[in-house]
Amino acid sequence: MNYVLSKEDLAPFLAQLSKRFQVIVPAKNDSGIVTFQEFSGQEVCLETERLSSPKKFFRPAKEKIFSFAKKKEGYEVKPVFDKTKRVIFGIRPCDTHALQALDELFIRYYGLDQFYSSRRKNTLLIALQCTKACENGFCQSMGTSQAVGADIVFTERGDEFFVRPETEAGRAILDRKLFKQTGDAEPSSKISCKVSLETHNLAENIYRGFESPVWKQEAERCLSCTSCTQVCPTCYCYTTDDEFEFGSGSKSSRFRFLDSCQLKRFTTVAGNHMFRASRSSRLRQFVLHKFSYYQENHGMQLCVGCGRCISVCPTKISLVEIANSIQKQVLEGAK
Amino acid sequence: MITPEKPELAEVLEVKQETSDTKTFTVRFENPKRQKKFFFVPGKFMMVTIFGFGEIPLSISSSPYKTGFMSFTVVNVGNVTNAMHSLKKGDQLGLRGPFGNGFPMQRFRKKNILFVCGGCGIAPLRSAIYAVREKKEEFGKVELMFGCKNPQSILFSQEMDQWGKQGISVQTTVDKPSPKWAGNIGVVTSLFKNSVLSPENTVALLCGPPVMIHFALIELRKKGFKDRQMFASLERMMQCGVGYCSHCNIGNRYACIDGPIFNAAELKELPVKEE
Repeated sequence: MNYVLSKEDLAPFLAQLSKRFQVIVPAKNDSGIVTFQEFSGQEVCLETERLSSPKKFFRPAKEKIFSFAKKKEGYEVKPVFDKTKRVIFGIRPCDTHALQALDELFIRYYGLDQFYSSRRKNTLLIALQCTKACENGFCQSMGTSQAVGADIVFTERGDEFFVRPETEAGRAILDRKLFKQTGDAEPSSKISCKVSLETHNLAENIYRGFESPVWKQEAERCLSCTSCTQVCPTCYCYTTDDEFEFGSGSKSSRFRFLDSCQLKRFTTVAGNHMFRASRSSRLRQFVLHKFSYYQENHGMQLCVGCGRCISVCPTKISLVEIANSIQKQVLEGAK
Repeated sequence: MITPEKPELAEVLEVKQETSDTKTFTVRFENPKRQKKFFFVPGKFMMVTIFGFGEIPLSISSSPYKTGFMSFTVVNVGNVTNAMHSLKKGDQLGLRGPFGNGFPMQRFRKKNILFVCGGCGIAPLRSAIYAVREKKEEFGKVELMFGCKNPQSILFSQEMDQWGKQGISVQTTVDKPSPKWAGNIGVVTSLFKNSVLSPENTVALLCGPPVMIHFALIELRKKGFKDRQMFASLERMMQCGVGYCSHCNIGNRYACIDGPIFNAAELKELPVKEE
């Protein structure tokens, strides 16, 4: 059974939820930028265009994973899990696909990342379908324009939301007073993206263009500023580091923080040898990891077509343009 | 609940100063059951935690047949190794592992083995040398070619004398000789002309700096080695050991779970030399 919620009732619904959960909504911060933040009555931003994704609640920029305390008999190692009960409202389809890609690596693939899966298990997702294409998005090409794996899916329809619960847990948090049952068909959430990417044999073709001059041409503009990897909803590469707690005697903690393949230090080993010293090789690593390597290893794309890296790039490097021109080169060369 | 990132407690049994900047640490898990079950193949590595300083990948340099302990041979080059060098007997550290694929030793039976290493690249190969020495009858002739910066930085020189007596032909070369040095001068590939092993029935095991591996493979090919006969242990930045952190990504492979040992045929397929 599907439901309808009037837009006026959204705030009361979220307020109700925040009694039991930490409710996360997209809203403007003090500088007018839309970010995902804890709901405390502020206006929820329903615009499609936004740079931030809810990645920080699953792969935070800095996350404590272990505490080490020196006791008489030796060190005590304790893992630190985030078990906050959370509801994320307004996660877009591309970001739900991004979580699927991360689940593949951290939950389904090799071993089990308990820190990630603890966050994932304790979070309910309320997805908000897009009804308008965003500036640089190419989710249609990547097949990520419809929400997956969310607990509830909202679609805007005039001054109300069409609500489709997907899971038992999602159905349980719908308040029967605010949500009216409906027999209507789901409104269309088909959008037409302005940017498009050729995805036929993408992983293979783009890897065949490994030595293409395009990498060098594009990397001439690259500043290695890491903006692209910061806004990317799937960029998960991390570094661990230990920190002492000063004044505590001998307590220390291990942190995991997001790193970026665009930095030289990412591949620097002892003796100062860098395996990817040039900008072009680092830019190539970013694009190939998204389009080629993940596909070969996991059978799915790591790029979800949100286009944020294109929007944020200060020198207007577009991974779609790179991918399209390399594919074109490779296919023309093969003829 | 399995947490692959969780370090297990271990204690330092012995610290041995090898050269001015290199020490060998002999350690074992504090949990006797864990140590008893601990098993590794030469070439595998451990993630070693120095509490409060961080975690680094280190190859095991001891024999896989000695089960009560394991050794790491560590050069003091960075933040964590510097902290590690201050450890004494009885101090605690954290261990995870073993990780990586290791050398496929069972495939080397009845074959001659040529070890080629540079500097502290001898650490993982020392483990393989012990494995070969332990089951001498299963392998053919063994040669070790070892390149170092200078005579003072030659690791395990006493052990090498012993290996020499046990039938392993050991040859060393240095880049910068001291006045007393009577041995070979030059890069490790300059020793290849002395090898008596015929390439058809020999495997080459390599570990060293990227530039050494690059040129050693070229020279060995010239001698007639086929790509599937050459195995190199690659060095990469690593943070997790389980394929999560992506620091050791080479093409679509990971040095931590697909490597760090790759044969030269695999290396040809991978963008090892990216610049």
